[in-house]
Amino acid sequence: MTSSSPRDRLDHLEQDIVAALESGAVDEHGCRELLQRLWERTADLVVRLESVTAPEQLVMDSQRPARHLLARYERQIKILERVIRISDRNQSDLKRLNQALEEASTHDQLTGLTNRRFMTDRCRQEDRRIVRHGGSYALLLLDADYFKRINDTHGHDVGDQALVGLARAFRSSLRQEDLCSRWGGEEFLALLIGANLEAAEVAAGRSLEACRSLRLAVEGGEVWITASIGVAAHRAGETYGDTLRRADAALYDAKSQGRDRYCSAKDCSSSQPFGLASGSRHLSESQPAGPASCSSPRS
Amino acid sequence: MQNLTIEANQSSPSVIADWERGVITMRGESYPENSFSLYEKILDWLASYLEASKRSLQLDLELNYLNTSSLRAMIELFDAIQEASEEGRDVSVIWRYDTRNPRAAELGKELKEDYTFSFVIVAIDP
Repeated sequence: MTSSSPRDRLDHLEQDIVAALESGAVDEHGCRELLQRLWERTADLVVRLESVTAPEQLVMDSQRPARHLLARYERQIKILERVIRISDRNQSDLKRLNQALEEASTHDQLTGLTNRRFMTDRCRQEDRRIVRHGGSYALLLLDADYFKRINDTHGHDVGDQALVGLARAFRSSLRQEDLCSRWGGEEFLALLIGANLEAAEVAAGRSLEACRSLRLAVEGGEVWITASIGVAAHRAGETYGDTLRRADAALYDAKSQGRDRYCSAKDCSSSQPFGLASGSRHLSESQPAGPASCSSPRS
Repeated sequence: MQNLTIEANQSSPSVIADWERGVITMRGESYPENSFSLYEKILDWLASYLEASKRSLQLDLELNYLNTSSLRAMIELFDAIQEASEEGRDVSVIWRYDTRNPRAAELGKELKEDYTFSFVIVAIDP
């Protein structure tokens, strides 16, 4: 290959080497043979490098001006450097994109809270943690009062404003370690890790207060909004789904008792287990999930 | 010589090399299983075109994504254009990118760096 290249395709050193190899000078120490082998190996290394960065058909020298070995080597190194640099950049872009997708798949776009998928995962994790290590948590299910009326009267922009405000009010009434998510349309679920019912009720009261102080700008003035909350503390043996059903039933109680209040699903030693009887808020109307205690508004 | 037309598929861009106009157009994403067999066809066409006449050549690209070996092959293409430019040929590259994909603009800038021929980066408004 290279040894058959015309002389003018070699740089000075390469020409000198070829000349030395072709000369008939006495070679007492066998240096010429060593040089020959070294020369062939060098040429071979360049070809191997070229075949790594591109297959042979792209390195057809017939298509490009003659290049000596050193130039060919340097060209490949330069190409590798560029490809690595661009690939690195591609990878960090993909990593950023991944983060953005992760954020989008776990967060609610309107309120910025985590979404139902994320919350479900965290509740399941908490269930597993409690099974292994014990502990407790409480759930607060908050629902905006008369939300449809706000939407119908003032439009969806004000409705969105209400959701964002409620999300912020609810979130800021909880501890940093608590999780707060948009659970459904105008429904928000908070997971209070390590909390018992009493602590959860305090948080619920604080949240309602924060919601009451919200003011929504509408044409010609402002309106206010309230929310109702169902509170339930996890009981041994329950999954979050069971606890949530009791919180949901308590929320229904808060609604039916006049809204703008919280109700708690009280623990009870009755023989009828909670959670099994009440599937949803509507179902729990005929089959109450258990005794509940309620706060009264502005108490 | 004839035109070269390669249909796009999910992992391979559309290629139209127009002999009359002296324009090679590539659109799409490039991560084919064998990127070298794709780019070899383009390189061959380019070599024939440059050899056959002294007319101008434009490479019109709209590529949102290139995998590493496509990138490697694209550098071969640009190098060939650079050589033609150094021989005094009228050659140029247009790199079009979607404004929603700023990464493609960055890639264009990165590729442009090593060349002296006309390399224009143009935003396409969606």
